[in-house]
Amino acid sequence: MRPIVSPKELNDLRDRLRAAHDPNHTWVQLCAGTGCLACNCEPVAAAFRQKIHDEGLEGVVHLKLTGCHGFCERGPLAVIQPQGIFYQRISPDDIEAIIDQTIKHGKVVTKLLYRDPASKTRIEKAEDIPFYKKQVRLVLRSNGHIDPTSIEDYIAFGGYSALAKALTTMEPERIIDEIKRSRLRGRGGGGFPTGAKWETCRNAKEEPKYVICNADEGDPGAFMDRSVLEGNPHSVIEGMIIGAYAIGSHEGYVYVRHEYPLAVKHLTIALDQARELGLLGPNILGSGFAFDIGVSRGGGAFVCGESTALMASLEGKVGEPRAKYVHTVEHGLWDKPSNLNNVETWANVPLVIEHGADWFASIGTEGSKGTKVFALTGKICNTGLVEVPMGITLREILHDIGGGVPGKKKFKAVQTGGPSGGTLIVETRDAKIMRSMEDAGEISPGDAVTSLLDLPVDFDELTQAGSMMGSGGMIVMDQDSCMVDVARYFIHFLIEESCGKCLPCREGLRKLHEILERITKGQGAPEDILTLQEISETLIDTSLCQLGGSAPNPVLSTLRYFRDEYDAHIRDKRCPAGVCRELVGYAITEDCVGDAKCAKVCPTGAITGGPRNLQVIDQSKCIQCDACYQVCTFNAIVRVKRDRAADVQTTARQTWKPVKERTQAEARA
Amino acid sequence: MPKVNMTVDGRPITVDEGSYVLQAAEALGIEIPTLCFFKYVKPYAACRICVVEAKNKRGRTRIVTACNYPASEGIEILTRTPRVMAARKLNLEMLMSRCAPMPVLTDLARKLGIDQPRWGTGTDMCILCGLCVRVCDEIVGAQAIGFASRGIERFVTTPFEVDSDACILCGACAALCPTGHIRMEEASDREVVHSEITLGPNAAISVPFRQAVPNAPRIDPEFCVHFRTGGCKVCASVCPKECISHDDVERFEEVEVGTVVLATGYQDFDPTPFKQYGYGRLPNVITSMEFERMNNAAGSTGGKILLENGKEPRAIAILHCIGSRDENAHPYCSRVCCMYALKFAHLVKEKTSAEVYQLYIDLRAFGKGYEEFFHRILEEGVNVIRGKGAEVVSAGRDCQEGSLIVRCEDTLAAKFREIPVDMVVLCTALEANRDAKDVARRFGISVGADGWFIERHPKLGPVSTTTDGIFLAGVCQSPKDIPDTVAQGSGAAAHAMSLMIRGEVEMDGAYAVIDDEVCSGCRLCNDLCPYSAIGFDETKKTSSVNPALCKACGTCAAGCPSGAIRALHFADDQIYAEIEGILS
Repeated sequence: MRPIVSPKELNDLRDRLRAAHDPNHTWVQLCAGTGCLACNCEPVAAAFRQKIHDEGLEGVVHLKLTGCHGFCERGPLAVIQPQGIFYQRISPDDIEAIIDQTIKHGKVVTKLLYRDPASKTRIEKAEDIPFYKKQVRLVLRSNGHIDPTSIEDYIAFGGYSALAKALTTMEPERIIDEIKRSRLRGRGGGGFPTGAKWETCRNAKEEPKYVICNADEGDPGAFMDRSVLEGNPHSVIEGMIIGAYAIGSHEGYVYVRHEYPLAVKHLTIALDQARELGLLGPNILGSGFAFDIGVSRGGGAFVCGESTALMASLEGKVGEPRAKYVHTVEHGLWDKPSNLNNVETWANVPLVIEHGADWFASIGTEGSKGTKVFALTGKICNTGLVEVPMGITLREILHDIGGGVPGKKKFKAVQTGGPSGGTLIVETRDAKIMRSMEDAGEISPGDAVTSLLDLPVDFDELTQAGSMMGSGGMIVMDQDSCMVDVARYFIHFLIEESCGKCLPCREGLRKLHEILERITKGQGAPEDILTLQEISETLIDTSLCQLGGSAPNPVLSTLRYFRDEYDAHIRDKRCPAGVCRELVGYAITEDCVGDAKCAKVCPTGAITGGPRNLQVIDQSKCIQCDACYQVCTFNAIVRVKRDRAADVQTTARQTWKPVKERTQAEARA
Repeated sequence: MPKVNMTVDGRPITVDEGSYVLQAAEALGIEIPTLCFFKYVKPYAACRICVVEAKNKRGRTRIVTACNYPASEGIEILTRTPRVMAARKLNLEMLMSRCAPMPVLTDLARKLGIDQPRWGTGTDMCILCGLCVRVCDEIVGAQAIGFASRGIERFVTTPFEVDSDACILCGACAALCPTGHIRMEEASDREVVHSEITLGPNAAISVPFRQAVPNAPRIDPEFCVHFRTGGCKVCASVCPKECISHDDVERFEEVEVGTVVLATGYQDFDPTPFKQYGYGRLPNVITSMEFERMNNAAGSTGGKILLENGKEPRAIAILHCIGSRDENAHPYCSRVCCMYALKFAHLVKEKTSAEVYQLYIDLRAFGKGYEEFFHRILEEGVNVIRGKGAEVVSAGRDCQEGSLIVRCEDTLAAKFREIPVDMVVLCTALEANRDAKDVARRFGISVGADGWFIERHPKLGPVSTTTDGIFLAGVCQSPKDIPDTVAQGSGAAAHAMSLMIRGEVEMDGAYAVIDDEVCSGCRLCNDLCPYSAIGFDETKKTSSVNPALCKACGTCAAGCPSGAIRALHFADDQIYAEIEGILS
C-alpha cells in the first residue's frame, strides 16, 4: 500500500474504505480472543469458512475474526452484522443453522441466543444483555468489531483520526494541556496523572527521550492489556505516537510479555502495517515528525512490570528495580528521560484527543475520570472483560454485570489490584462476631467492617478501603474461600516473583509466608497477628519498590476485614471456610442418600458404606482432598473442624434413615 | 558545584547538590549503619538498614535510604526515630534468621540493641549485599559474578555456576565480602602454593620493599586490575594529591655521560626444571630469596617463619649448591650460599625451635670471621650433613608437618639418609642476567662463557674494562658477597671520579681520522671498531671517530672500502719510511 503523506489522504482512504462497505453483505464477527480460542473457536471459524464456501456465499458473507468481545464465560461468541444478533456458545454443528436460517432467511436461531437467568428470556442483541448493558465500552469500543490484523478496518472505524488531529491542529503543549485537563490517570495501577508525567518528561533537559508502553501484565487473573493488544493494537500505537509527539520523543518501545504470543503477533503486524502506511517512520502524515516503535518481549517476571525493572530489562539487564528518588521521566531507559504508560492508558489517549478533554472528564468521579477495564474472574457467573465508568459500585459490577455467584453460594470478598492489591469484604459479617471484635478492642465501634458492595470503584476509594485499582484484575470469592489461605496464596505468589534485591521484600515475604502457613496449619500463636502487622509495616516503609511496598496488602486487608477468620484459625484451630487441609475434617451427615458417588471419587478408598446405605469416611484414611465434597449433589458432606468429624459421623449413624423411610415419613407428616 | 542546606538530626549542614544523605551524616559524625554500602561502588540500597526519616519542605515525611537519597534544599533528616529504629531492627532480625551468626551481623545487632534475634539465626553465609557483584562489575569490569535465581532463592555465583574464564583472579570480591563467604581457591595443577611466596607485597600497588629507591609506591601492571580490564582506578580516586596516573608509559631518555659504571647484578637461578627438588610442585619448598623475604620484618609474614598452613615448622632442610657447582647448570661456585645458609640456620634457631639440616658439598667459610660463625652455628645445634641434597619428595601425608622427605648421601658417615622435614630451602645459584650479552655488546665490553662481564685484567684491572670509561661493580662481573661488592663498587666509583674530576682525557697522538669528503657513510667501520669509538653523524651523513676512545688499532682504516680513514702516525708514507729506515 502507498504511504499516506497527509491527513487529507487519510480521510480519503477512510471514505473509500467506508464506501466499499456494502450494506447488503453480512459480516460474521467471530471472537478470536484468547478466551474464545480456549473455548475452541477455531473449529467454529473453520466450519464457517467451509459452509460459506459450500454455499457459494463468498464475497457476500464475510467471516471476521475479531479481538475479545468480553463475555468470555459464554464463548465462542459471534455477532452477525448488520442485524447485530449475538450468538453465544457456538459449536461447529451450529454453523449450518446460522447460515441457513439467519443469514439466508433472516431468522434468529433462538437456542444460540443468550438466556438471561433472571428474566429467563432469550436476548437477541448484545446491548440488551445485562452483562453489556451497564458497561461503557470506550477503550474496548472497537474490540469485537474490527479485525486486529487489518489497519484498514481500524481506519474505517475512525482510527488514526485523533493522530491526524493532533499532528495538524495541535501544538505538543496543547496536547499535554488537553491530557492534563482530561485528568486521565495511569491505568497501570499507580494512578499517576498522565498529563503531569508527560509534561515533566517533555521538560526534562536530556535527549533523546523515550516513550514506553508497559504491556507486562503479570497479575494472576488479569487480561485487560492482553485483550486490548490482541484485539485493537492500533489504538495503543496511535496513543503512543500522539504521546511521543507531545513529549518530543522519536523512539518508543512496547515491553510485552512473551507469554502473550497472540498479542505480540498482532502488535508486530500492526506496527508493520503502520510503517507501510507511513503512520510510523521518518515523516508521519507529512508532518515532519519522526517516530518508530520497537517491540521487546519480557521473560515472564512479574517484577518487570515495575517501571525501573522494566527499563533495566529493556536495556538487556536483569529486571531489578532501582530507587526512584530520581524519576524515570528524568533518568529512565539508558539514563534518558523516559515516559512509561500502561497499554490501557495509551489506548485512552486517542479518545481524549478526538473527543476532547471535557468530554472525557465528564465520565467518572471527581478524582478518577474515564472508564476502567476490569478482568472479572473467580466465583462469578459472567467471567469476562468489562469496561465500566469510574465510580460504578462493586454491586453493579458483581451483581448486574457479573451476574452474581454461581450456585447458591454467598459472596464473600473481592480481590482487586492483583497480588499486591487487597481483598475487600463484600458480605455483611455476622453482627455477633463484629460485637465480639469490638469488645476485644480489635475494631473500634462503627468501623466499616461491613459490606463494601456499595463502594464506588475508583483509584482513591479503593486505596482508602485498603486495596488498590492495580491494573484491573478483579477476583471474586465466595463463602468457600478461606481468607487466611487467600493471603497465604498471594504472599506465596509474591515470594516467587520478588526479585530478591532488597532485604525487606526478600526476607519479609518469607517470614510472612512462614507465619501464614503456620496459621493455616493450626499452629498459629496469638502474637502472630502482631508480628504480621509489624513485618507488613516495615515492608511498606522500607521496601525498595512498590512490589514489596504493596506486598503486605493481601495480609493487611484480610486482617482488616476478616480478622475473625484469623482468630478462628489461631484460637480455635478451625478454618471457617473449610479450606485449610490441616484443620478440616470431612464427614457425611444424615442427608446422605447413599448414591456412593463420593466413594467412587475417593482416591484413598476412605469412604465405605455400600449402595443405598449411609456412606462413612474413615478419618484415618482421609487426606482432605475435597474430591467428595465437590461431587456430592445433596450437600451431605460437610467440612468441619478436624476433631469434630468423627462426632458428626457418629451422629449421622444414629439418625440416618434410608431414603425410602424418609419419604414415607414425610408423606405421613 | 551548587550547594544545598539541610539538617541531620536537627544539625544544619551544607553539602554539594547531588551528594547523598549518608555523606552529609558522615560529615556531621552521625553514624548510620549500612550493610551493602561501599564508597567506591554506586549505592545499591538493597539492605535497607541505612533507612532514615526524611521530611521535605512540604512537611511530608517518609522513610528513605540514606545511601542513595539525594540531599536537597531544606530537607530534614532524622536518623534515630522509633520508626526508623524499629524498621532497622526488624530487617536485621529477618536477615539473621536466614544467615549464620557472623560478626558483621552480630556486631550490628548489638549496636541496634538486639539481644536475641527473635527468630534465631540460620546458616547461610551470604547476606546478599551484592558488594562482590558490584565491585566486579563497576570497578573491576570483569562481570565474572552475578546474582542467580530470584527472590528467596537468590544467590551469588559465576556465570552458569561453573568456574569462569571471565574471572581475572583479582580477588576484589573476596576482599570486599563482609562475611567471608567468597574465598579464593587455587585452580592450577599445583597442589598448594605458599601464599607468601612472592618477593614483595601481593598488592598491585605497593612500595617494592622498605629500602627501595625511589621509596615510592608503584603499580604492577601484571596485577593491576586497570591494566587488565580498563576499569577500577580506585587508587587514583583516593589519592589526595592526585599523584597516580595510569596513562604513564615507559620512555627512553638519552643522557650524555663521560663514564659508566655497570652494576647490573644477577638473576636468581630458577630451580623449577630440577624436578627432583619439587620446587613449584610441593608445598613449602621455597628458594633462599623467598625465605629471605619471609624473614624480613617488612615482608609478607612480618618476619615470622611459617608454613603455608600458618603453623611454625618443626624441621627445615637447607640445601646448598642448587644450580651451582653442578654440571647440569653452572659449574662455578656462587660464593655467597654457604654463608647465607649458615645465617638462615642461625635465624631459624633464633626464631623457632625447629631442627635445621644443612646439606652441603663443601663449606666455604673463607672470609673474615666466617669460620668462627660456622662454629657458632654448630654450637647452636644445627645438623650439618656433608652430602648434596639429592631429592625432595612428599611424605604422602595430609598433615603439613613432616610432609616432606629430603634424601641425600651423607658422605662423611657413608650412609644414605632420608630426613623428614616441614620446609625445604633451596640455596639457588647466582646467575648472569639473561641479557648480559646484549648489554656487553652495547658497551663494547666482553662477556665470558658464564655470562659474567670480563674485566680488563683479573689482577691489574679488576674494575675497568677494555673500553675506556666503562667500569664494573658487583656481581655482574662475577658472584661475590656484599663486602666484595662494596669494595669493587667503591673502586669503580673512584675510577670514574678521577676521570670526571679532571674533566679531560689524556690520549695518545695516534688515532684514526675520517675524511668527510671521502666517507660514503656506509657505516662499515662503526661495527668494525672493537672499542665503539666510531659513531655516525646523522647531519653530515658521515662516520666520525671519538679520539678519546680510539686505540689506533687500525682495523677501521684497513676495512674502509673508500679509503676515507687514516690512522694518524701510521700513514702509508710513514710506514714505508720506517720500512726503508730498517732496511737501510
